[in-house]
Amino acid sequence: MKKFLSILLTLASAGLAAGAIYLMAAAPAEPPRDWPAHMSVQQHALVIAPIDHSYRVAAYLITWAIQLGYLGWLAMKWRPAKQG
Amino acid sequence: MKTLAISAYVAVVAALLGWGFYQAVYVAPQDAMQGDIFRIIYYHVPSASVAFVFFAVSLLGSIGYLTWRRTNPNWAQRADAWALAGAEVGVVFCTVVLITGPIWGRRAWGIWWTWDARLTTTLVLWLIYVSYLLLRRFAAGPQVQTLAAVLGIFGALDVPIVYMSNRWWRTQHPAPVFGGGDGSGMDKSMYIPLLWNMLAWFAWGVLIVAMRYRVERQQQVAAEKEAEKALMA
Repeated sequence: MKKFLSILLTLASAGLAAGAIYLMAAAPAEPPRDWPAHMSVQQHALVIAPIDHSYRVAAYLITWAIQLGYLGWLAMKWRPAKQG
Repeated sequence: MKTLAISAYVAVVAALLGWGFYQAVYVAPQDAMQGDIFRIIYYHVPSASVAFVFFAVSLLGSIGYLTWRRTNPNWAQRADAWALAGAEVGVVFCTVVLITGPIWGRRAWGIWWTWDARLTTTLVLWLIYVSYLLLRRFAAGPQVQTLAAVLGIFGALDVPIVYMSNRWWRTQHPAPVFGGGDGSGMDKSMYIPLLWNMLAWFAWGVLIVAMRYRVERQQQVAAEKEAEKALMA
């Protein structure tokens, strides 16, 4: 049970971290630095909104990847009270 | 009874984390300047606050160990277990801070990292506590706990420097939102979700630090039994 939980948490952690990296890598391209010459402020906001969203979700996923990864490591070290 | 209390606490922590996420994503308004990327603050700032709290736990544990190591070995071992648990969980939260910060920075500043005062002092804090954990893991001998306690106390000295860094030196990192003087602060609609997330992550931190303490105490007791057995043989 302990081993299963530990493996499950480690896999979840790795999956979340991979998801975060994928989200940032696959985010739409950023508009060029001279974007005011090509688009309005509203158009720029529409272009960057999905990029910001991807990065925000990635940050949340990485937070959970770290926390669950640590919990998985703790689960591996855990010994029931009777054995302790 | 104890199992029921622990299960209830775990349920409360899960509910708080769910509520904190809901507040951060669906209740807090979009920042006018930063848009959605601003919402990283709801995980980044609570993680930093909780890291500081657990480094303080480590500091108290280290002081306790040095105080009691000759007079009360049992208390000293317990204090040492708290010092280790606090340092380790503090490093976990500090790692979250050091990763979510650059993700925000990439969108807000266009760069992942800069050697700004707040970022650099936070990285130094993380490195000090990682070296503390490496010392605990790889060094051997009767002096390891004492050396680790001294390192833990010195490491904690960096916490106020990290906290004050963006007050003393105005560099790239945003100015302090709370307690930063005139013009600082946050709208209530954003402040309340932040407080919920601080509470949620603190509750989560308490859960994992208590688990880590228990694991360490089990290891200490097992090591004591081994030593007794060796003496008897």
